[in-house]
Amino acid sequence: MSVTAERSVQAVHVHPRARDYPGSFLDGVIPNESELTCGTRIEPGKSYGFFTDTTLCIGCKACEVACKEWNALPADSVGFTGMSYDNTGGLSANTWRHVAFIEKRGPTGTRQTDQDAFQSGWLMMSDVCKHCHNAPCLEACPTGALFRTEFDTVVVQQDICNGCGYCVPACPFGVVDLNPLDGKAHKCTLCYDRLKGGLEPACAKACPTDSIQFGEVPELQARAEQRVEQLQSLGVAGAHLYGAPGGEGATGGLGHLNAFFLLTERPETYGLPPAPTRPANRVAPGLLAGLATMAGLALGALALLGGGRR
Amino acid sequence: MHDMPGPAQGGSAYDGPTYYDRPSLKPAPFNTTVVGGYIFLAGLAGAAQMLAALVRRARPPGFRRVARTGHALSLLAPTLGAGLLIYDLHTPQRFANMLRIFRRTSPMSIGTWVLMAFSGSSLATVAADWLGRVPGLRWLRPLGRAAELPAAVSGAALGTYTASLLSATSTPLWAATPRALAVRFGASSVASACAALSLAERRADNHRTARDLDTLALAALGVELAASLACRRRWRAVGLGAAEDTVSGKVLLEGGADLVGTALPIALHAAALAAPPAASRRGSALGSFATLIGSLCLRIGVLEAGDATALRPRESLGFAQPRNLPRQR
Amino acid sequence: MRTLEGIVTVVQEGRFLLTTDDGSTHLLILSHAAAAEPHQLAALQRAQSRVRATCRPAPDLIGWVVRRLDVLEATA
Ligand code: SF4
Ligand code: SF4
Repeated sequence: MSVTAERSVQAVHVHPRARDYPGSFLDGVIPNESELTCGTRIEPGKSYGFFTDTTLCIGCKACEVACKEWNALPADSVGFTGMSYDNTGGLSANTWRHVAFIEKRGPTGTRQTDQDAFQSGWLMMSDVCKHCHNAPCLEACPTGALFRTEFDTVVVQQDICNGCGYCVPACPFGVVDLNPLDGKAHKCTLCYDRLKGGLEPACAKACPTDSIQFGEVPELQARAEQRVEQLQSLGVAGAHLYGAPGGEGATGGLGHLNAFFLLTERPETYGLPPAPTRPANRVAPGLLAGLATMAGLALGALALLGGGRR
Repeated sequence: MHDMPGPAQGGSAYDGPTYYDRPSLKPAPFNTTVVGGYIFLAGLAGAAQMLAALVRRARPPGFRRVARTGHALSLLAPTLGAGLLIYDLHTPQRFANMLRIFRRTSPMSIGTWVLMAFSGSSLATVAADWLGRVPGLRWLRPLGRAAELPAAVSGAALGTYTASLLSATSTPLWAATPRALAVRFGASSVASACAALSLAERRADNHRTARDLDTLALAALGVELAASLACRRRWRAVGLGAAEDTVSGKVLLEGGADLVGTALPIALHAAALAAPPAASRRGSALGSFATLIGSLCLRIGVLEAGDATALRPRESLGFAQPRNLPRQR
Repeated sequence: MRTLEGIVTVVQEGRFLLTTDDGSTHLLILSHAAAAEPHQLAALQRAQSRVRATCRPAPDLIGWVVRRLDVLEATA
């Protein structure tokens, strides 16, 4: 009996440390539990993120639920959108994971009726805050409420945010949002509290297909490159990364996105901008042009008001 | 690579597939009237302070009164303006958190400190004007003199940083034209300050200086008109032209800012220059009022039309196409 | 306005779960106008404090907006 149990454990590639915890009820949190659940040890000073492989997503919304549960987020947009299976609608102050459902349509814009049998016409994608490398929300925040954590993620400190709302239009992906009820900005924290406790973020842990993978960003990027190659060789010509360094989704000075995606269609299909930019790059041009205007008009004023009277 | 139809080339909005036409950006959660009001007041106050310092150098007739009026107008920013800003916060009791840090990537942070510097130096200029004759408070006068330059420089910044505040976001309409918008806001600030000062001088029967102020307003309005055309051209080029067809675009930007706020006063002031001075007083006052209204409309209109482009995925996704990326240096 | 009385069991940012005596759990959000600050909630949770929340239903959300929070007793 014990031999079979051991074999079956090995057969599904469970981390060796998992054998130290055979019971269902634990005395406390397993130290460095993330090592068991996703093979990554969480250490301050390293860069963590998500690789969301949309080709694996089955649209179960376990990530949405896990996020709401862990972060005590209230149910919002109560009702039906009337489009696809997506009644969540989008990311908001109270929804930090959003599973998009895209029913593929034919080139004429009508619903496809000639799908091969048993072939899915659905694209599903779990969207989230991208934890941008040069995060526009963070660069815009005038109070320092938005900060970069020791895990290279971007978090709003609730005891500092004064609800100015400037981070909201700054985000190129429409992620961060104000909750008018508590007057603060909210978004995915990449489960900052869980990372500090050595736990993998709730959404990634709950994802049954590993469409959401949590790990160190360089490692995830390498894994993602391989996955793209694999898919391409299997004939999925559209497979490409969104948010890889300097590539689609990480253009215009954003660097890279710590939470990046593997897509099979053009990004607009998922509601993602193909070429976002870093707003901070527009500060200097605007200020200089404005000050030059003021200086020019000031010179004009001097000439005009002082002209011919001295 | 993609098997869906691509976006139209050229300047039109994106017409490929979107995610059920749902917004892919969030609009700024600002109250457009409140924040637009602040931008207007900050521009008026900042430029008035700048002009006050300039008339003291140029010494036109009645320059002392003009400077005093300019100083008094500058108080609009630290009082009503700051009040509007705090009112628009969603947790207003924490407004002082703005002063925790300085962040050079954030025009909101830069602007907070500009406003602080402006408020402090402007208060000094006003205190010198109002209390400088009181025995025992004469030391306020050299202080007020010393504050004039910092007040003028921070005033110039206050009159135009608000354009950067909008451009340094991902809202397409604002992000598309960082330079032209800054020129437009700066020129509108100067025009509105000229208008307010001119009205005051007309009341005091100092028509000569008022006429000069009107001429200066004419120059500023000319710059504003050129910047308005530049904005519009750029917006069309990147597929955001439809923003002008919204109600706010039509009423506030075209009607309010361009027609009432720019074209009308340009015509009135230009006609006044040609006419004999006495005949042009009515027109000057009308032009000044129109300038002030137009300046407010411009700010509220840009805020509203910008929010509209953030909410419309065809425009925001069209703007976020690789062809609209800034050229690499 | 109505009041809910119970134990603070989970706290995240300015949100917390309150388990009332009948065993049901409610999600509460601290209003920006409430006298309590989000960082004070964690201590209430650690102490398993019994609190009374004066609140109203949150519009468009399944939850309550708290205007006033009174600590009734701190159990160990
Ligand atoms: S996706 Fe938006 S909210 Fe998230 S880090 Fe980037 S700018 Fe900030
Ligand atoms: S709303 Fe809060 S987090 Fe966002 S920019 Fe303002 S202070 Fe920073």
